[in-house]
Amino acid sequence: MGKSEKFDLERILDKATSLGASYADARYQCFDDELITVENRELKSYSSRRLSGIGIRIIVEGAVGYASTSDLRQSCLERRLQNAIKAAKSIKGQKHVFVETRINKTKVKSPAKIDPSNVPPEDKVSIVLDANKTAWISSNVKNAVTRLGLTKDSRLFMSTEGAHVEVETTLVGLSHASVAKVNGAMESVNDWGDSRCAGFEFIKCGDWNSFTAGVSKLAIEAANSGTPPPGTYTVVVDPEVLGLVVHEAFGHASEGDIVSSGESVLRGKLGDKLASDMVTIIDEGTVEGGYFYPFDDEGTKKEKTVVVENGVLKNFLHSRNTAHRLGGRPTGNARAQDFDNLPIVRQTNYYLEPRGFEFEEMIEGIEFGIYVRGKGAGGGEVEPGLGTFTFGVGPSKVIRKGQLAETVKGVVISGSILDTLKTVDAAGKDLKIKTSVFGGCGKEAQRATVGFGGPHVRVRKMTVGGR
Amino acid sequence: MELADLAVKKALNAGATEAEAYVQRTNTIFATFADKIENLKTVESTGIGLRVAIGKKTAIYSTSILDEKEISEVSMRAVKIAKVTSEDSHWNHFNKKFAKTSVEGCYDKRLENPDYKEIAETLMSAVGCMKDYDKRVRPTRSFLAIALENVSVANNYKESSERRETEIGVFLACKVQEAGMNSTGAEQQQARTWKEIKFEDLATKAAEKAVKYLKAKPIMSGKMSVIIRNQIFANVLAIFLSGPINADWVQKGRSPLSGKLGKQVASENIDLVDDGTARGGLRTRPFDDEGHPTQRTPIIEKGVLKSYLHDTYTASQDNVESTGNASRLFGYWTRPEPSPSNLILQSGKTKLEEIIRETKKGLYVDQTIGEWLSNPVSGNLNATVTHGFLIENGKETQPVNGVIIAGNFHELLMSGVEIIGNDVRNSMGTIGMGIYSPTVKLAQLTIAGK
Repeated sequence: MGKSEKFDLERILDKATSLGASYADARYQCFDDELITVENRELKSYSSRRLSGIGIRIIVEGAVGYASTSDLRQSCLERRLQNAIKAAKSIKGQKHVFVETRINKTKVKSPAKIDPSNVPPEDKVSIVLDANKTAWISSNVKNAVTRLGLTKDSRLFMSTEGAHVEVETTLVGLSHASVAKVNGAMESVNDWGDSRCAGFEFIKCGDWNSFTAGVSKLAIEAANSGTPPPGTYTVVVDPEVLGLVVHEAFGHASEGDIVSSGESVLRGKLGDKLASDMVTIIDEGTVEGGYFYPFDDEGTKKEKTVVVENGVLKNFLHSRNTAHRLGGRPTGNARAQDFDNLPIVRQTNYYLEPRGFEFEEMIEGIEFGIYVRGKGAGGGEVEPGLGTFTFGVGPSKVIRKGQLAETVKGVVISGSILDTLKTVDAAGKDLKIKTSVFGGCGKEAQRATVGFGGPHVRVRKMTVGGR
Repeated sequence: MELADLAVKKALNAGATEAEAYVQRTNTIFATFADKIENLKTVESTGIGLRVAIGKKTAIYSTSILDEKEISEVSMRAVKIAKVTSEDSHWNHFNKKFAKTSVEGCYDKRLENPDYKEIAETLMSAVGCMKDYDKRVRPTRSFLAIALENVSVANNYKESSERRETEIGVFLACKVQEAGMNSTGAEQQQARTWKEIKFEDLATKAAEKAVKYLKAKPIMSGKMSVIIRNQIFANVLAIFLSGPINADWVQKGRSPLSGKLGKQVASENIDLVDDGTARGGLRTRPFDDEGHPTQRTPIIEKGVLKSYLHDTYTASQDNVESTGNASRLFGYWTRPEPSPSNLILQSGKTKLEEIIRETKKGLYVDQTIGEWLSNPVSGNLNATVTHGFLIENGKETQPVNGVIIAGNFHELLMSGVEIIGNDVRNSMGTIGMGIYSPTVKLAQLTIAGK
């Protein structure tokens, strides 16, 4: 893989063994990334990047050392290996154990018909320019930014145990943000749009013009509206917000490293009923609409992991080491942002399974509540030690006497992991999972592309803030 | 020939009318630890970002491979893209003013040859301080990062300039569990030199915090005055000001501060500067990311907006000089744009204890999550308090968590900042910027609680 293959990873691994490492792995990565930004009908920037390098992880006397470099000459790799060993030797009293995992030798690619690197730059630019033009639906629109993102991530994993796993993932997407001003009030709506693990065909076939016009319409509507009264209400959340909530509020606390360090509120709770019967949560490597992640950065296959089943906590997400610490099986969740980083436990596509409710059934009978929507949401954050989470969601709707009423902006929701999911009393029939080329989840200064989603659900108690 | 100069030459040969190269070399040490050191990693990373212009058509191409053959390819690819893209009607030229401002306290020579054993021992003794503070304290995932960075910038107008800097960041966290109650405590510090980091003080404070907030709970919804701790208010300033004072936001119609130069945008007690030359500041540098010298720029004086932040591109559109704020926020591959260097809210005179003592009823906010979800365009400020306490008649009473505080930042700045503390500290939560703030007392915020 890659045309600059001058290095010999096998030789590095052998050398590691001869220098006293009980285990070693090496990860080569080549990441191609293009970002085209059009602002106010003009091309603002066209940037392309190629990032490649190698990370070497070794265990010496139970301690983990790591070194990485973007200098791919063999002599440099050997020097970096020495550095990793020196780092490991400075650590005292650590016993790092990896649970046995199946040793894989394989090569996989995400489905892509047209490789973005084969598409002429002018074709890419014209799609973004066109999409940006249609965002100017009225004089209330003051600013419009459209982005096209195209990435190809090729990774090779090799270990002293004989693993050899190559994965190539192409991810493309288009996003848009509009700023509107109505009677002096300014509001921006930033929609992450649609991204897919596919080739350029996904961009070519999308209806991006009505997408950007829709974002502008929502920004105007939001600038024109008020904020909800603060308090704790019954809410119905859409699949996007639900996906965020489940990922942030429950997902992080279910990551094996946070559990084993004692930080997570879920520690010691396997087998406990933590959510209502309506709640079944899955982490899965390849799902429709999600991110393509068939193997993790330790070469473990990412299969379907049931985290919560009908409200009962069944499994944590694991790397080979956290599986050892907590007595589980590796679930294929050891992920590294890039070759500069050690894999840590991350979610892949984390979602809630659908149930049988219709949307109308869920809102009827709500005297006063909020229909919380994700379009234009800012994201979220959790304090896994306390179980407190918070999200900035998109312009939403008030629910009054069982009917959708006026739009509200500036909505923030907040709750507690261990309480909120207990009050989920209805889940819809629909299932929608999304991923994004523009952002991802941050943990310990590493970003990871994830998929998230689920059906519409009703939550009986959610704290809603606004001005 | 320096690599940056070589890249510029090759780009011009390939047909660019202008070219600018930015070469970044970084060495980082990163330790993860809780009770013990989990792992220690060392990262050597390199990269070049090449910007080219053909007339008013521009492109940026970057790679992590720094050899001559790759540089030739990069130059050709960048020019190829620039040829077919559309014109940027605002384009004038790359930076023509190269110089170095004299700066101090930004490089620790000692970190060139780090002693891994000493680092490991220092971290373990900090962890020991947490456990010594109270036997219920359990250290949780904590981090140390040490970075050495070397950058050279060159363009077709000037040969390369070089700068080097060091930076250390530490985050220490712990947890206390008792009788079904959970509490966490964390402290962080970021500095330029090793001796500035107070490992044991931070550890003790983190432990103290975890114990102090053990019985925290939400309070009722309502309105009250809110005291926001220095590092947290620095995060708030970063969100609400770093974009709106960026001249690019202003020129493109995204900034709520558009058209407000020379006007009152804050109360008279507010003085804010952007100082790229502050001694030992987190973003103090001799020159910015396009080679322009850094400077001290007053942004708000006695509440009046004095200047926006400029790079060469935005400055030429407004017919002003660049303020030396060109920044490649995420690294060599990103296009430079104006961004704060060290944005400093000037200190007031009041000690934190006095601010608390003089508060009849209020909420002290020690730690939040999600403050970055606030909206700098509309001014809607939101944050969820994870660590705070209620103040009644000048005394700390109930520890508080799980409530949302909300208000409008622009309105608060105009008339809501009652008291400014004297305890200026920097924030660590913000990529690529040094934001400094004292603790402030805000007249009134909305609280969404029970």
